[in-house]
Amino acid sequence: MLCGKERCPVLVRFSFQARVNKLIDSLTLEGSSPPSVFVGRIGYPKVAVGPLIPPVVGDTSFIDTPEFWGNVTIDDIVNFRSQLVRGKHVVNVYDVDSSDKIVSLTRELALSRESVQSEVYFEKKPSGRIIFYDEAQPHGPSAPIKKLEISNPKYDHRIEKAFYDTDLRARDAVVELYKKGTLVSSIQKAFSVGAFGEKKYRRFVPTRWSITAVDSMLGEELLKQTKNSPLINEYRVYRFKRFDNRWVVLMMPTSWRYELIEAWYPKTTWNPYGATIAIYNSYEFYNGRKTYAEIGGCYYAARLAVNETLTKEHRQAGVVIFREAHPGYILPVGVWNVRETVRKALKQPYTKYDDLQTALSAVKETMDIPLERWIKNSAVLKDSLHQRRLEDFFT
Amino acid sequence: MFKAKVKAEVIKNIIDIASPLVTEAKFNITPKGISLRAVDPAHVAMVDVDVKASSFEEYKADEMEMGIDLDKLGGIMKLANANDTVSLEYDEDTNKLIIRIGNLVRKMGLLDTAGMPDPKIPNLNLPAKITIKASELFQGVRASEAVSDHISLTATKDSFELFAEGDTDVVNLKLPKDLLLELNTPEKCRSLFSIDYFSNMVKPVKGEEPITMHLGNDNPIKLEFDFTEKNGHAVYLLAPRIESE
Repeated sequence: MLCGKERCPVLVRFSFQARVNKLIDSLTLEGSSPPSVFVGRIGYPKVAVGPLIPPVVGDTSFIDTPEFWGNVTIDDIVNFRSQLVRGKHVVNVYDVDSSDKIVSLTRELALSRESVQSEVYFEKKPSGRIIFYDEAQPHGPSAPIKKLEISNPKYDHRIEKAFYDTDLRARDAVVELYKKGTLVSSIQKAFSVGAFGEKKYRRFVPTRWSITAVDSMLGEELLKQTKNSPLINEYRVYRFKRFDNRWVVLMMPTSWRYELIEAWYPKTTWNPYGATIAIYNSYEFYNGRKTYAEIGGCYYAARLAVNETLTKEHRQAGVVIFREAHPGYILPVGVWNVRETVRKALKQPYTKYDDLQTALSAVKETMDIPLERWIKNSAVLKDSLHQRRLEDFFT
Repeated sequence: MFKAKVKAEVIKNIIDIASPLVTEAKFNITPKGISLRAVDPAHVAMVDVDVKASSFEEYKADEMEMGIDLDKLGGIMKLANANDTVSLEYDEDTNKLIIRIGNLVRKMGLLDTAGMPDPKIPNLNLPAKITIKASELFQGVRASEAVSDHISLTATKDSFELFAEGDTDVVNLKLPKDLLLELNTPEKCRSLFSIDYFSNMVKPVKGEEPITMHLGNDNPIKLEFDFTEKNGHAVYLLAPRIESE
């Protein structure tokens, strides 16, 4: 391609757009919401809330459940996500209890455990193309809602219970639901419509913030156990590839510390105009961070995935995640990709090493970028290589 | 048995000294006083605090251990002014520490000390001894924090030097012997340390109070100081970084 990308993102968007447009070029839309809702961020605290609805009736849950997207391609994602029409209704985020029908139906829909048959009347025909976000999954055209009707949703009873408990703190609700096996994506949906927390604190939370809030709270919860568990016994290297991204997870037998280092090749999502590879990192040592991670929501999504594995094993480790985003990664698909990919990477068999040097040689074999450059951009690796421990001085 | 009355400031001091390294600690109580020794989770630094019974207004104790959540105790101490007298009493029946501040009674649950080890002190060869005013050392540390994540400390027969170098910026604090309270070394000694850790160890020492450092070559640093009118003594050990290639 003349622009330098491996494949043309404009064409990928266009080919699906053409098909979808015919179905939704109307003032009314009938379809089954997966269920899915979107809470916008622009204009906060007055934001656009509403359902995402595809022009398809039936069980559409797959298209809003990233946990099931283990084998889909980028084209698949663009295909099924671009069918989701976003209905918009502007409300004040504090008005979660408003008698406004569209607000209450949007919430009911978000709490449903099955696809909800919906009929929506728009102020004007849906317009725009598929939209991509840093944190949230992409969605299709949007339009202001005039009227919304939905069939009776079947609630997920665990979520419903948390919703009616107006003394339960939001954090406790999120943790409890997660421990009972509710999918992270379902918790995030309910969180975004202000379904959790003490009554006076309930509010709509923009989708992208709710994703990271839930990832971050769950990661912190699991970390309480991780930090009190015995160390792993070896150095481990896990590897995984997806969407032309190469992933390596290095686990070290040290107290908890964590770093995500991302290398973006030129012409990829977060380095569209650069001539050279751009490397970004965020990290924490045992006592955690006080500021939001420089690299954004993916930091918290991967931290959750890592702690899921450690708590399952009842172990503690220091963790460094290396990510090389190669030129085939042409579109951002959302933070779920990081959470699910790291989860998947940690389910692969790992290789064991006795010391950091040999473990790093293994990283070097999997990755294109030279080891020295990774180290230069890594606070945790520099610490591991240069900081001595008191034990080193027992003679 | 443990029953004591003490100025809130003394307890606050102990918490300020230990809490940068650990959130929970085992207090060893003897008839002579209270001590605490702990290593941070990464095993990079150690703290050893001793407070003599003479720093208390009243003090009666048998040998015992108390596992204390330092954040919690710190929160309780915020209810008192530095000069308030606080009374502490161990309640054996409930395994709680009863803290009285004025008319306020606060009972604090204690932690199980079974999982809290007694760290060993490494044998170190630290030939150089430097004593310096805390404020002077702290100025150098603060300047260094802005440019790098590590500093080098060097002692020679006639000066002490603190040096930090970042990608573009450099910090240098060089003090000749006559500006130091004490400088004594048979040879040149130089080691490198993490600024995060080092700065946390200097912070608890107030303004003009002296800090003594024992320094070697690529060896841990031992940093010590007195508090509460020399009735309290704190020692930190910090493992070095080794030179990057």
